[in-house]
Amino acid sequence: MKKFAAVFLGRPMALVGLAVFAAIVATALAAPLLFARGPFTIVGMPLLPPGAPGLLAGSDVLGRDMLVGLAYGARISLLVGITSTLGAVGIGVLLGAVAGYYGGVTDDLLMRVTEFFQIIPSFVLLMVLVAFLQPSLNSTVIGIALISWPQVARVVRGEFLSLRGREFVQAARTLGMRDAAIIFTQILPNALPPIMVVSSMMVGSAILTESALSFLGLGDPNLLSWGSMIGGSRSAMWVAWWTTVLPGLSIMVTVLALNFIGDGLNDALNPRRGR
Amino acid sequence: MALDRRAILGAAAGAPFFAAHAWAARDGIINAMMTDEPATLCYPLFNTRLVQEICGNINESLLLFDWQFRPQPNLAQAFEMSPDGLTYTFHLRSDVIWHDGAKFTARDVVFSCATMLPQLNPRSRNAFSHVASVTAKDAYTVVFRLKEPFNAFLLSLMASSAPMMPAHIYEGTDFRTNPFNIKPIGTGPFKFAQWKRGQFIHLTRNEHYWRPGQPGMDGIYYRVCPTPEQRMVAMETGAVDLALADDIDTVVNSRLVANPNLVARADAYNGTGEIRVMELNQRRWPFGDRRFRAAFLHALDREFMVKAINFGEGKVAHGPIPSTAPYYDDKVLTKYHHDPAKARALLDEMGLKPKLGGVRHRFGLMMVPDGGGAWTRGAQYVKQALSEVGLAAELETTDWPTFSRRSGNWDFDCDTNSYGEYGDPAIGTSRFFLTSNIRKGVPLTNLQGYSNLEVDRLLGQAAVAIDRAEAQTHYSRLQQILTHDAAMLWMYERKPLLFHNRRLKNVVMGPNGPADGFGAVTRA
Amino acid sequence: MSRLHFIAMRLVKTALVVFAVVLLSFLLIRLAPGDAATVMAGQSGYADEAFMKSLRAEYGLDKPLPAQLATYLGTVARGDLGTSYVRRQPVLDIILERLPNTLLLDAFALVVAIAGGVWLGAAAARRPGSAGDASVTVLSMLFYAVPQFWLGMMAVLVFSVWLAWLPPFGIETMGADYTGLARAGDIAKHMVLPGMTLALYYLASYARLTRTAMIEVADQDFVKTARAKGIRESQVARRHILRNALIPLVTFAGLQASILVGGSVLVENVFSWPGIGTLAYEAVTARDNPLLLGIFIVTAVLVSLFNLVTDIAYSIADPRVEMGR
Repeated sequence: MKKFAAVFLGRPMALVGLAVFAAIVATALAAPLLFARGPFTIVGMPLLPPGAPGLLAGSDVLGRDMLVGLAYGARISLLVGITSTLGAVGIGVLLGAVAGYYGGVTDDLLMRVTEFFQIIPSFVLLMVLVAFLQPSLNSTVIGIALISWPQVARVVRGEFLSLRGREFVQAARTLGMRDAAIIFTQILPNALPPIMVVSSMMVGSAILTESALSFLGLGDPNLLSWGSMIGGSRSAMWVAWWTTVLPGLSIMVTVLALNFIGDGLNDALNPRRGR
Repeated sequence: MALDRRAILGAAAGAPFFAAHAWAARDGIINAMMTDEPATLCYPLFNTRLVQEICGNINESLLLFDWQFRPQPNLAQAFEMSPDGLTYTFHLRSDVIWHDGAKFTARDVVFSCATMLPQLNPRSRNAFSHVASVTAKDAYTVVFRLKEPFNAFLLSLMASSAPMMPAHIYEGTDFRTNPFNIKPIGTGPFKFAQWKRGQFIHLTRNEHYWRPGQPGMDGIYYRVCPTPEQRMVAMETGAVDLALADDIDTVVNSRLVANPNLVARADAYNGTGEIRVMELNQRRWPFGDRRFRAAFLHALDREFMVKAINFGEGKVAHGPIPSTAPYYDDKVLTKYHHDPAKARALLDEMGLKPKLGGVRHRFGLMMVPDGGGAWTRGAQYVKQALSEVGLAAELETTDWPTFSRRSGNWDFDCDTNSYGEYGDPAIGTSRFFLTSNIRKGVPLTNLQGYSNLEVDRLLGQAAVAIDRAEAQTHYSRLQQILTHDAAMLWMYERKPLLFHNRRLKNVVMGPNGPADGFGAVTRA
Repeated sequence: MSRLHFIAMRLVKTALVVFAVVLLSFLLIRLAPGDAATVMAGQSGYADEAFMKSLRAEYGLDKPLPAQLATYLGTVARGDLGTSYVRRQPVLDIILERLPNTLLLDAFALVVAIAGGVWLGAAAARRPGSAGDASVTVLSMLFYAVPQFWLGMMAVLVFSVWLAWLPPFGIETMGADYTGLARAGDIAKHMVLPGMTLALYYLASYARLTRTAMIEVADQDFVKTARAKGIRESQVARRHILRNALIPLVTFAGLQASILVGGSVLVENVFSWPGIGTLAYEAVTARDNPLLLGIFIVTAVLVSLFNLVTDIAYSIADPRVEMGR
């Protein structure tokens, strides 16, 4: 554990990522305190440029404060990113563990299911799911979790397949431990490192996916997210570049920070892979 | 033109214009756009604005209407009305031929007005419901006998409501599956030439068009151009010459207005008289209470909606009849100005006090899908404005099929919609307030469930009044009652801009604009 | 297991997977509220019960679900994917019309991504830890993190509007009606921005993959042996390192086959590229179920075939891999 922390914190990029991500989370949490009014409040005429009186980041196509919108957009991105990843990991770990531990028919079944998800264009499937469930925060989270879990399941399955034959598992069995206990208390802790890496990358890609859905108008219409800000600015871009550029940069910086963290975790948890 | 000067100058702060491309050999062609491809080109069957604009060149009606909405001869070269208002006689031109060579005769008029249009087109059905019989006195004379006098009868013969369809093509066939739905036959200045799916619809000049000197151009191309940004670029590069209503998102109006190669017309759709509205399902509490509706209107700053959401395009609507239409009576209207304090007071009076979180009432707001354009912005503004008086509107994104189904089946709280007047309240307005037009499952009817016996009576009387002054009295009283009742939530009147390239002229010849066709267009 | 046997087994597996796709997609889409009748009624603005009932009867929508599924499977087996509710045209025709556009774009993007990625990755692997290596890494990470649709919009802003080098939308200049070489050139010009936008994300992946793989392989014994034997560095790089590093690359490329439709939806949408991606989006928003289903099926078939091809390529590249599982 100490070695892990040492490696992780020794990577400058990982540190930068962590710092930036922490700043974004802090802004997201503090948004209601930082700004007197919500992101939907109309503060003036639309499409005022950054630097206009009282508008550090300008106003959007409806006359709302861009800066407030960016801060609140962070809340949505993080919320969706984290909850959908938790969901995907939850499902993926469960199914992958069972398939990897028991092997045989269960494993075959899981492989077929993950193959199905690989062959279907997953973004189109997501669009269909969200349209089916009616666009909302819930449907976005559920949809993204449903198309992301196979990735986790594959990784977990692989780990379980290789770990189940180890001595400590044999020992636990001989001691009379039940399967469920073995899975969760013996094997899973050892399978954690790759799960953690996959999860951190997944939060980033979930944020990208959420922004894509909102951009296409399939996100929750009652919430302001970075993606919906970009989507709403499609025509305004020609007369107000900041309505498109600023939310996009926000997404990019957040996902980049998460990717730095993921890379750092990867290095720290896989010390064999030297640079 | 009600355009924001500041917005126009502001275009200079935006991205530079796309340079006009050098086009070879396109002088005689009008290049227009389609936002998507229509399912069919039979206008009575598929009543959308796009099909209306394309078929306006192919199909014609008996009459045209000038800027004062006075009827002018078209396919009917003369007409009389009997003094009791029950008989209309139309004398048709004898020199009109259909695009396939057959002669246009009274048989076509009788077939269209008695059979095809009432069967397919809801607006025609409404108008022709007053007609008792349509007969051909001879090859070029048609007589309409009405059940009672209907003073808007002539207006219901506009091209957008009653295009003449060829009997020899449609009579006795299944209208929905007739093969000529995708290669229409008409009498107009342009005839159908080719439909290349996914790319364009091509109309070519009608060499045998009856109006001398027309058409001025050789053909029209309607090219598929799915997104607003694409259409904007196409106008700037000169790839297309025409941008019709709603082709361009109002956000970039300023760019196109400032572009020296383009002309902007704000009067091309006066004949439609479109008002953007919000409807409340008055069967559900508290929407049936007049005070709630009044509070709703007071909560909104509709001046801001026009200025900031629509970028200056349009004008606040205070009642069911647009200010540019006949019978509009400003004096009798109850106007609801932006007054959030008053809104709160009304809601308090109703017993809708703020509960937890300051919310008095929560309800759904069903939006028309438009990919983030003016409709969506309008809904978002309304949500925000309502939240300031304690009303929480939850936006619901839908697609067109779902929207139609839910609105038709009264499965909604509040929705956004848009209605055209089409020249006379009897045609455009009555359908939303008549008790008899509360029909479940049919969109574009009295979806709110508003029912007022005096309103029914007034609408009935006004429609049959022969004397315009008498009709005016009834319509004035109607506007008074409806606005006092806040019977519908009128947002603003639309005056969509039509843009065309300077190289064309005579693009807009009357209040119906493109719906009357481009026969008169010539090179500038 | 002989190669032929392997291919036969894989084809059977593919057929089963496609069948599963058809089944599940059918169920998913049929369970969604709204159907043909609602779509068409919405279009014509006329929707009373009698009309809807007649439409439903016409399209066989009033029969029980298993019967509908059986009918559908029967028609699909005959190669008929049904008729689009919205366009009133055969689904297969619509898809085949647009498919070449997407394939063209994807092929271009794949070539750029692989060529650029391998080149960058190899260059970075030459000198690990250098400033050049670090910049390649950071650049790759940047492309990973950028939202594709936003990148596309920025590309339009910079290259079409400010610099005016390239056209912003569509597949060819509208209304110019070019033919032959001029048309090819026009399409090529229109393909640059969307193709590059699509490629950059995958370019980043391939660069990192190549770099990691080459570094790993370079450390391995057989390469050290080759070096000790005196074989020239460039030969070592090409014959041994690169070839072995290509294996994970090929695997990854196979997994990327789903960019065929899924990945290109956003890019096609931003650039109004008339391909399968925009078709899928239109089908979803218009609830055009036959079209949507048809897209799923065609994509599944194509991706499966693509996977089969890459599997074979994989087995050729690394003869140590056993065929079959």
